[in-house]
Amino acid sequence: MRALFPLAILALPLLAQHGRYLSDSNNPAIGDPVAIAAGTKLFMGSCAGCHGPDGGGGARGPNLVRRSLWHPLSDDAIFQVVRKGVPGTDMPPTKLADDQTWNLVAFIHSLTGPASSNPVPGDPAVGKAVFWGAKAGCGNCHAIRGQGGSMGPDLSNVGGSRPLAVIREGIVEPAKDLYYLGNEAATVVFKNGQTLRGVAKNRSNYSIQLVDTTGVLHLLQMNDVKSLTLSASTPMPTDFATRLSKAELRDLLAYLAAQDTRAADAKGSPQ
Amino acid sequence: MKLLLSLLLTLAASAQVRHEDVAQSPGTDWLTYAGSYNGWRYSPLSQINAATAKNIVPKWVYHVPGARGLRSSPLVYQGVLYITSGNSIHAVDARSGRLVWQYADPRAKEAGPNRGAAIWADKVYFTTSDNYLTALNRHTGAVIFSKKFADVEKGTTSTSAPVIAKGKVIVGSAGGDGGMRGFVMALSADTGAELWKAYTVPAKGEKGAETWGNLLEWGGGAAWLSGTYDPELNTLFWTTGNPWPDYNGSVRMGDNLYTCSLLALDLDTGKMKWYFQFTPHDTHDWDAQSWPILVDTEINGLPRKAVLHANRNGFFYALDRVTGEFLRATQLIDKITWAKGIDDKGRPLMLPNSEPTPQGNWVCPSVKGATNWMGQSYNPGTGLLYVLTLEQCGMYYRSSQEPQPMKNFSGGGATEEGGQVILRAFDPKTGKRVWEYPMTGLGRMWTGTVSTAGNVLFSGDDDGHFVALDAKTGKNLWHFNIGETLGASPITYSVDGKQYVAIASASAVYSFGLFEPASGVEAPVIQFKTN
Repeated sequence: MRALFPLAILALPLLAQHGRYLSDSNNPAIGDPVAIAAGTKLFMGSCAGCHGPDGGGGARGPNLVRRSLWHPLSDDAIFQVVRKGVPGTDMPPTKLADDQTWNLVAFIHSLTGPASSNPVPGDPAVGKAVFWGAKAGCGNCHAIRGQGGSMGPDLSNVGGSRPLAVIREGIVEPAKDLYYLGNEAATVVFKNGQTLRGVAKNRSNYSIQLVDTTGVLHLLQMNDVKSLTLSASTPMPTDFATRLSKAELRDLLAYLAAQDTRAADAKGSPQ
Repeated sequence: MKLLLSLLLTLAASAQVRHEDVAQSPGTDWLTYAGSYNGWRYSPLSQINAATAKNIVPKWVYHVPGARGLRSSPLVYQGVLYITSGNSIHAVDARSGRLVWQYADPRAKEAGPNRGAAIWADKVYFTTSDNYLTALNRHTGAVIFSKKFADVEKGTTSTSAPVIAKGKVIVGSAGGDGGMRGFVMALSADTGAELWKAYTVPAKGEKGAETWGNLLEWGGGAAWLSGTYDPELNTLFWTTGNPWPDYNGSVRMGDNLYTCSLLALDLDTGKMKWYFQFTPHDTHDWDAQSWPILVDTEINGLPRKAVLHANRNGFFYALDRVTGEFLRATQLIDKITWAKGIDDKGRPLMLPNSEPTPQGNWVCPSVKGATNWMGQSYNPGTGLLYVLTLEQCGMYYRSSQEPQPMKNFSGGGATEEGGQVILRAFDPKTGKRVWEYPMTGLGRMWTGTVSTAGNVLFSGDDDGHFVALDAKTGKNLWHFNIGETLGASPITYSVDGKQYVAIASASAVYSFGLFEPASGVEAPVIQFKTN
């Protein structure tokens, strides 16, 4: 399984454990490894052609994993879409029995649920060293539980809030995400000639809220600003697919998948 | 000049919030739920005053994503305003209303309201509905820690703003209407680790357990509003909620200590220094949740370190905060039918036909109480305490069912019929009413107050208006129709030498200031550069 990664993402849900998620249903298929395995087979046979084998989208069907980030559907809603299709689109209705449909929903649920709720390949301890090491240098910009840089998004809960495939995509294809607002690298030149560099957490024609390279927040008014230079793309390096070995990337993903502010809760421990 | 100010602001922004900063608050900032440890909700700012209040205009609105019934009182530190909603916190530029960062915890197992955040060093803190204390970097919103301090599975939820004193984060407990065991807890501000836990209901065999039947472990006494703190006495003053089941007292005969009480707790150890119970054996859901306000004043002709408390049961109390001695109780509202007064030991003199029954009894005040958790304000300039009061009565019913914890069982029910919200000013020296401001509405508001050295008192009408009153006379100075129910308390702060007044409505935060002619904004040169 290790050697197959990253192509093996689609196989992960076979082992998936049930993790608490917004769209939890009470149906026993959700989180049941046997149901998920059965659902995987159904998905490969009937859905992967359009939605891609990992749910990542294809020529005819949308990316189910990313879509869940901004438009999460409940398990019951997914059940209805599978059952009835989406009228006016290429998504057809199906005639699957209820239990088969729930198996399929269980697979999609495991695909789109938080990474921390699914077992992932790789060694998180090794991944931790990759994260904080010089080669990847993730910690220069990203923080985890108060350690690390302030220029990139905080990753303390990345495993608890993102599906594994989305985390992976964020590393190997960071420029794919079009939502830079809030993460723009910015250089501000004031009318008095002073310069400030950092990340614009927000900005408008009238004000900028900027965290500088030392992690200090500055609230600026545009009337004081002479010029503003912004990154046209993501400030994140785009070469991690080649900079890191497959093993390093796998272990890094295992480490990130484990970052969950509720990890202790999942184990049933108060601390 | 403008440039200079903004650079000064950015330079100052790296400072850390220290104990003495909170102890001296509020000034230009608003650093704790009630503005100060003594619970006054009073600000020395005076740019907006009784003379200039006619020029108040809205400056910005921040719509809190998904919010429908905000209960949160904002904090402000160095130009950033922090507002909480259920399981989320939002940092907003306090001059412009623009979002800086937000953090949400959508996996929380409850979706209750939240009353506010706390700030310490370079971290802001809030609790999730299912009892996680979350600490975030105040600049970036990055998570420093998120620690569970209580089990939602045992009926406890969290709604109140933490209080931070000497590096201890003090949190309370909610959920008393469904059966739980209330507590106040201290956690480390650095790590979230538990330091002490003080239960509000004794364990079996402990002193006070004899005032209960068998329901001790589900007895309620939630501590769902923040408390106040006296640094000199190193004492926390925390109020407790009703015993459970709310309306059926026959299954918990006795006084039910320490419910409906004020507790004086040592900050370092959580040890109870004294307690005072306002409503022994409560059967009307009259939590004692209302601010214990710490004022040094003359009471009955003697100078006292007093704690003032306007109670839901209809009476306005003054106690000695060093000893807990009962000093005086006067009527908060006009219509009280369950007690003819308070005796010289502080116990109510009960009247018949006031208990909930299967057929129901008509009792004043109503279940919502003569006042509730709405933020009161004490103004040292006017020497007055401002309290939102409700003149309302209702029917109280008792059911005979077996109590079942954590199943929304309260042993009966109550109605709220008619009634009127009246904002009243009291003189703490006498306990007497000085002026009152009757409101129009249906008794649905939860708005509190803030008052200032400018002799202005801000509050919300029962019909969704934000209002400014003359703090000395109660005369209306200004009003603004926000247009939705107000359920939170206002604050005031200053940035760049300009005073603002902010309040959360049901769905948004509004910030107001004095009118200034608009000036056009000259757009800078903006370039996009490829890496």
